Amino acid sequence: MELETTVGSIKLRNPLILSSGILGTSYSTLQRIYEAGMGAVVTKSIGPRARKGNPNPSIFALQEIKSVINSVGLANPGYKVFREDIEKLIENKIPTIASVFGENETEFVEVLEGLKDLHILAFELNLSCPNIEKGGTQIGTNPETVFNIVKKIRSITSSPIWVKLTPNVNNIIDIAEAAVKGGCDALVAINTLKAMVIDIDAQIPILGYKRGGLSGAAIKPIGIRYVYDLFENFGEKIPIVGVGGISRGEDIIEYLLAGANAVQIGTALGVAYPENMIKFFQMRIKKYMKEHTIEKISELVGGAHK
Amino acid sequence: MTKQTLPNTKPIMGRIIKKWEECEDTFGFLIDIPVKVKGAKPGQFIMLWIPGVDEYPIGIADFENNVLEIGVSKMGVGTEAMINKNIGDLVGIRGFYGKPFQPPNKVNHLIIGGGFGMTPLKLLTTYLLLREEKEEIHIFEGARSKNRLMYLDWFQNLHDQKKLVFHVSTDDGSYGYKGFPTVDLEDFLQKSETPSVIYAAGPERMMKVIFDIGKKYQKVIDMQMSFADRYMRCGFGLCSYCAVDPTGWRICVDGPIFNAKQIEQIEDFGNYRRIETGEKQRI
Repeated sequence: MELETTVGSIKLRNPLILSSGILGTSYSTLQRIYEAGMGAVVTKSIGPRARKGNPNPSIFALQEIKSVINSVGLANPGYKVFREDIEKLIENKIPTIASVFGENETEFVEVLEGLKDLHILAFELNLSCPNIEKGGTQIGTNPETVFNIVKKIRSITSSPIWVKLTPNVNNIIDIAEAAVKGGCDALVAINTLKAMVIDIDAQIPILGYKRGGLSGAAIKPIGIRYVYDLFENFGEKIPIVGVGGISRGEDIIEYLLAGANAVQIGTALGVAYPENMIKFFQMRIKKYMKEHTIEKISELVGGAHK
Repeated sequence: MTKQTLPNTKPIMGRIIKKWEECEDTFGFLIDIPVKVKGAKPGQFIMLWIPGVDEYPIGIADFENNVLEIGVSKMGVGTEAMINKNIGDLVGIRGFYGKPFQPPNKVNHLIIGGGFGMTPLKLLTTYLLLREEKEEIHIFEGARSKNRLMYLDWFQNLHDQKKLVFHVSTDDGSYGYKGFPTVDLEDFLQKSETPSVIYAAGPERMMKVIFDIGKKYQKVIDMQMSFADRYMRCGFGLCSYCAVDPTGWRICVDGPIFNAKQIEQIEDFGNYRRIETGEKQRI
């Protein structure tokens, strides 16, 4: 039995990838999570310059739906500073995917130009952050903009390009088509859902930015639906990385069956012992594969499309 | 094992039932928490939400019968907003987060700190006084001047009752010894024969000095220090804005209390902290 999987030309030791925005502020947390048994890690989204993000509260848990709402707002040190962290990861042989963002095409280009010489596993274009005023979802909901940015970046780098899609659209296929036409190597679905929590005693939204994005168990059925739709539309033409609400090994199997070649996990690792969670995920996948006499992850991919 | 005593939730609104000026620029608050909660452990912290203003980590000074005591020093917009709150006002509480101090038995307990660091050290002192083992407790508190000493009466009173020894110092000599508490600590260590554990909280530069002193003495069998004075967003291990290099430990769940063996591995200790952008800044 093998847990190895591929996303296009990329080989991973297993289908578990740390998603962007979780434990990704420093090389040290990324390395720690990789060493605990992930297949690869995605950095925090990196932009052209240092950004403070939104005021606190910017992350808290919603226990009743096993989920988290956040409005970090792409706080990051900028690519010039974060480059050092990526260099350390590469030096330590950690399969690293750099998540990058910009408020417009020019900013995306600046970041890519600044990082393209690194031997990175892939660039993940964050075209879908819901927590900023300019860029973010605005970019990721317009097929033409998505096409232009992906095409431009394709001309800059030969590294694989992954495009992270927002679920906050009428038709995700249009956006995905644009990204594929632009020349991306994989689709990552989904980013967080637009959300808000109001405290009924204080009578105001709790997040400092008021609005936020929802992640965690509550969004899993939505992610599954989008991955299923994407696989149905594209088939083997483009690899899919499934993300959204994975909190148990079973959820990973579900995403693979929907059509994902690999998955990203984030919110579920925000615990005291993420190492244990990762081991549980792996054990559960192996148990399932054994029970269903499955030898390779690829046998599961898209298996629910009958 | 870190088992959170409150489930990890959105902020729970608590009502301020008492407020007092603890010392200059620092106020104490008692906050009534409306849900049943198990006791807080010394060294744990909460995320305090001032609705519409800010949320940040704050140490726990006491917790009894669902009433939480905290101490807030004026340090910025967020803390000032708390200081401007009054009895009856609501504030949000998340927590209790983090790993606590773990005092061993049969040692001298040397508790040293300054400023806001005294808050978790007060709960640690209460905890040690309630234990059956009766060991020596020494408090080393320092401040710029007398009017900036936190919990002065509380510690002095316990000293007078011979429940602990209060070594107090001020930079200007307006109360206790003139000088830094670290000098007092080292004087004590030179004379003492008993195995000791040092517990520290407060500005990280001070903790670094304490750590370097402690390392010189074999009788210091462990040092446990609070790193809670760092920028945090989530408080429960998700965002990593509080993480330290090169270990990748998150202050909020892998800490905020680290022991001497762990502190030795944290290269950032006393050198760098992260700011809101995730960038490292020299301490």
